[in-house]
Amino acid sequence: MKDSPQVTIEVRNIVKQFGAFRALDNVDLKVANGELLALLGPSGSGKTTLLRIIAGLDWPDAGEVSFDGENALARGAGERHVGFVFQHYALFRHMTVFENVAFGLRVQPRAVRKDEAAIRARVKELLDLVQLDWLAGRYPSQLSGGQRQRIALARALAIEPRILLLDEPFGALDAKVRKELRQWLRSLHEEINVTSIFVTHDQEEALEVANRVVVMDKGRIEQIGTPGDVYDNPATAFVHSFIGESIILPVDVSEGHVKLGSRVLNVDANGASGPSKLFVRRHDMHVGPVGEGAFDGTVRRVRSFGPIQRADIALNGDGDTLVEIDAPRDRNLTAGDIVSLQPRRYRIFAGRD
Amino acid sequence: MTLVTIETSTSAAAVQPFPSRVAPLARRDARTEPRLVRGIIITLALTFLTVFVVLPLALVFLEAFSKGVGFYLKALADPEALAAIWLTLVTAAISVSLNLVFGVAAAWAIAKFEFRGKTLLITLIDLPFSVSPVISGLVFVLLFGAQGFFGPWLMAHGIHVLFALPAIVLATAFVTFPFVARELIPLMQEQGSQEEEAAISLGASGWRTFLLVTLPNVKWGLLYGVLLCNARAMGEFGAVSVVSGHIRGETNTMPLLVEILYNEYQLVGAFAIASLLAFLALVTLIVKTILEGHLDEGQPASDD
Ligand SMILES: Nc1ncnc2c1ncn2[C@@H]1O[C@H](COP(=O)(O)OP(=O)(O)O)[C@@H](O)[C@H]1O
Ligand SMILES: [Mg+2]
Repeated sequence: MKDSPQVTIEVRNIVKQFGAFRALDNVDLKVANGELLALLGPSGSGKTTLLRIIAGLDWPDAGEVSFDGENALARGAGERHVGFVFQHYALFRHMTVFENVAFGLRVQPRAVRKDEAAIRARVKELLDLVQLDWLAGRYPSQLSGGQRQRIALARALAIEPRILLLDEPFGALDAKVRKELRQWLRSLHEEINVTSIFVTHDQEEALEVANRVVVMDKGRIEQIGTPGDVYDNPATAFVHSFIGESIILPVDVSEGHVKLGSRVLNVDANGASGPSKLFVRRHDMHVGPVGEGAFDGTVRRVRSFGPIQRADIALNGDGDTLVEIDAPRDRNLTAGDIVSLQPRRYRIFAGRD
Repeated sequence: MTLVTIETSTSAAAVQPFPSRVAPLARRDARTEPRLVRGIIITLALTFLTVFVVLPLALVFLEAFSKGVGFYLKALADPEALAAIWLTLVTAAISVSLNLVFGVAAAWAIAKFEFRGKTLLITLIDLPFSVSPVISGLVFVLLFGAQGFFGPWLMAHGIHVLFALPAIVLATAFVTFPFVARELIPLMQEQGSQEEEAAISLGASGWRTFLLVTLPNVKWGLLYGVLLCNARAMGEFGAVSVVSGHIRGETNTMPLLVEILYNEYQLVGAFAIASLLAFLALVTLIVKTILEGHLDEGQPASDD
């Protein structure tokens, strides 16, 4: 298993229409061999559709998909050797766990099919890999969600896939099980090293598990980068608001001046102009003495937990705008304080919608 | 039930007064009708069932055996009776097989694929249920009769359809078509096509996917549909009566023979055959109950 062939996936200009609705709009993506890539985006952004096209379960209206430079669209789903783990597992309900995992081996063409003893050995090996060999005789309905998920993975791995696709593998599980399985998936990938794409709408999951993250919205790729990249240098307003929590202020930029309402802020325009949005991470907002920052505000409420305290601050002269910032614990804040705020790091993106 | 409630209310009363108050309310809600009303309703239902279902069934058997077992067996061994039984079995076997194949195909197409004209197909499947069986029979007369659409051509080639086995099978198959499809469509729709997609992506061919995944998943529903289809196929009267021609010893099915014998005052013969049909109905009911148990038990597996 250690030396499974590693494949590069290339997706070029994929367009997929459902009637008048464009589910994928010119998607371009390259996945390096042995990589574990996360596809991150809100529900309905086209993640599943992209995965299904790569697996051959759906066909694009335009564009190309290739595995190691070879056209994958010329092959049916069964000939692509792609392991697919479905969002709702899709285990065969009338078969035992053992037969589920054995399925891919049993349906192989006679010429390459293993004999019964070899199939049994292989299934045993896979069930050991997902640590569920003691469930071999059960039916899917007798398993917990997390167990079903791991059996679905074992079943997909049985055919020694060249590529592994996981559609929201932990989507239906509770928070604790999710966290455990995350670690487990990460180490499993290190062990088997198959080029893998996994879909999630949970940013924490994507950032924690993947080597690279692809952020999607409305059928388009917004940004591709390492988890650090997409968090620290979001390419678009969408990425900034989708990944990590941000303070978002509506601003107007003219002649290089950034204005919030009628106040000119002490920040750079970053090349934006016209109605724009200013994005600041909560912990990137520095709280200082009045008059020293980009804007002044009144502390309304303070909550402390762990090493930080979170404060609601109403911006002065613009009483409606309330921002939530994180400050170190030793920066003593109390309700009623008048302070100044200075973004240490921020981004301005043109447009307001 | 009551025991549990009492226990909760005593042990948790100090902490949470709620359960002790909710339980009696819920109990009263569940049985709003007074005893008397319940008694009347149940008696009415039982009386109705006895008069309209149990009594007639019992009478069929009583009448059949009224002149003794010997007479009963002799009536069944009559060549005309044997021919009718044989014709009914053959007709049912062929038309149920046809409907098994067509029903599965139609349900599969409807449940697993999107295509134009799907709603029309669903409506058409129900057609035999909404049309009087006599009309269904007449349609085949119009198609295959001497003045019918294919009639002259068939006659020229010496092929007998009307007043022969082919027409009887066609009419029966037409009337019983919806049973299998109707049973399978909701089942397959509810199951979706993810398991099939999983099988395909694991390298199974379309045919093996159907055999190994689709079919086993609906097997109880399929048996259920086949059972009802068979019961109706053996009991069909109207449509078959129109196309059969009532040739004695040749094109009479069991229901047709029952009517003929009855009209000729051969009561024992008529009721002997009828008792076989009634027996079929009883067996069908029993098997149906067993299958329903399996169908229910199959449900929870679909949840994720
Ligand atoms: N078979 C289909 N027919 C019509 N619309 C579809 C179909 N599959 C997906 N869509 C639409 O395409 C969009 C993207 O869907 P999907 O790829 O499932 O999103 P995601 O997995 O990111 O939640 C959604 O708006 C969805 O409604
Ligand atoms: Mg999805």
